[in-house]
Amino acid sequence: MAQERYLPSRGGAGLPGRPTESANLADILERVLDKGIVIAGDIQINLLEVELLTIKLRLLIASVDRAREMGINWWESDPSLQSVEGDGEENGHEQLERENRELRERLERLEQRLGLEEGQRREEESRAG
Amino acid sequence: MPDELGRWAAKRAPELLARAEAEAVEELKRALVEATLRNRAEARRDPGKPRVTEPTPPRGHGLWCYCVTRSGEPPPERTPGVHEAGPVERIEHAPLAVLVSRVPLAEFGEEALRGNLNDLDWLERVARSHELVLERTLEQTTIVPLRLCTIFEDEGGVRRMLDEQRSQLLAALELLSGRQEWGIKLLADRDSLERAARGRRTEADADTDEAAQPSAGGAYMLRRRMERQVREEADRLAVGVAEDVHARLQDWASDAVLNPPQNRDLSGHEGEMLLNGAYLVETPKVARLRELVGELQERHRELGVTLQLTGPWPPYNFVPHDPISERAAPA
Repeated sequence: MAQERYLPSRGGAGLPGRPTESANLADILERVLDKGIVIAGDIQINLLEVELLTIKLRLLIASVDRAREMGINWWESDPSLQSVEGDGEENGHEQLERENRELRERLERLEQRLGLEEGQRREEESRAG
Repeated sequence: MPDELGRWAAKRAPELLARAEAEAVEELKRALVEATLRNRAEARRDPGKPRVTEPTPPRGHGLWCYCVTRSGEPPPERTPGVHEAGPVERIEHAPLAVLVSRVPLAEFGEEALRGNLNDLDWLERVARSHELVLERTLEQTTIVPLRLCTIFEDEGGVRRMLDEQRSQLLAALELLSGRQEWGIKLLADRDSLERAARGRRTEADADTDEAAQPSAGGAYMLRRRMERQVREEADRLAVGVAEDVHARLQDWASDAVLNPPQNRDLSGHEGEMLLNGAYLVETPKVARLRELVGELQERHRELGVTLQLTGPWPPYNFVPHDPISERAAPA
């Protein structure tokens, strides 16, 4: 039989009037952070900060790479997800800088993992140049 | 011989590099997740840890908004809000109303929020409280959920917002009335997928393999090739079942949204998450939705898949996507 899970407050478990710990935090966060109507309030945290946070949390929330590997990537056509990196206050330049920084960090890791010593790398660079 | 080895190494290098990079990225992500979860555990052990506050915290309160409803609905059930500073109240502004509660700006001001939003423990508490208010209200009426951290300085600000967004909000309420959001996840057990894949492959390829009549060394290569084919076939089966399930539900629902699979450190799911969808369903059809989910699971039973149904959710996934900027809409 299919599993069915009701939302925490309607299942009857836990103390009445208090959120239980049982609802999947990922289910709630993917909704309250990424979805719901966006209206600019007086506290201007809305777009910039929440979008940045969303990018950070996306690492936590989505195990996207494994799915892509399997050939599953269709949520990418969802405009609401596309907008996260494009529509925020982060302009093209900042985005490039961020990507650049992330790639550098990845490269550093990679080099460590491959056991490339500084000297070796310089030697290779000089040969290449 | 060394030349040959060199050529072989050169040929393999891109693949090895790619694999090392993939591993490195995985490692990085795991470390990030671990660090965040660890911070959270430490914060739990030390509840006295002060919340992030601004150097000179602003005094006073703001109004945290939960959701919009039509006006004239019954008053909300007594529900705690995101902060004990005030109960959840309704601001009536016909034809609309908003559920709000007072929050101290020392914790919910711009600077403080910047820090607090990145504290997973704080975020979880606030997100669950926000969600609970929406769920309670959803039991009584149609709602338009607002994203977390929609905060106004005073009641006047809330009323101005309702004036400015009136047509959009009424259109959303109209669309959502009599419909419910349900979440459906498709989870698959990798072993069962590969078992099914092996079964299918054997039928198709047994003849070719036998015809090859491999030597002892060839047998090893053959086994490696077969393992790879099984993995690829299992991936194809996974995509196929996800497409089938989504297509059936999408045809049937009023609207559908696909979301990225969740990270198991947060969700605690087992197996591979092949589908994470939200479906907007007319309320009278919900009983049929349950049956349909059971049928779809039965149909793909040999693949060892589980369909997980959650809801009804506040219709977060089915409100207008585009941010409504302040004073963008005609009053």
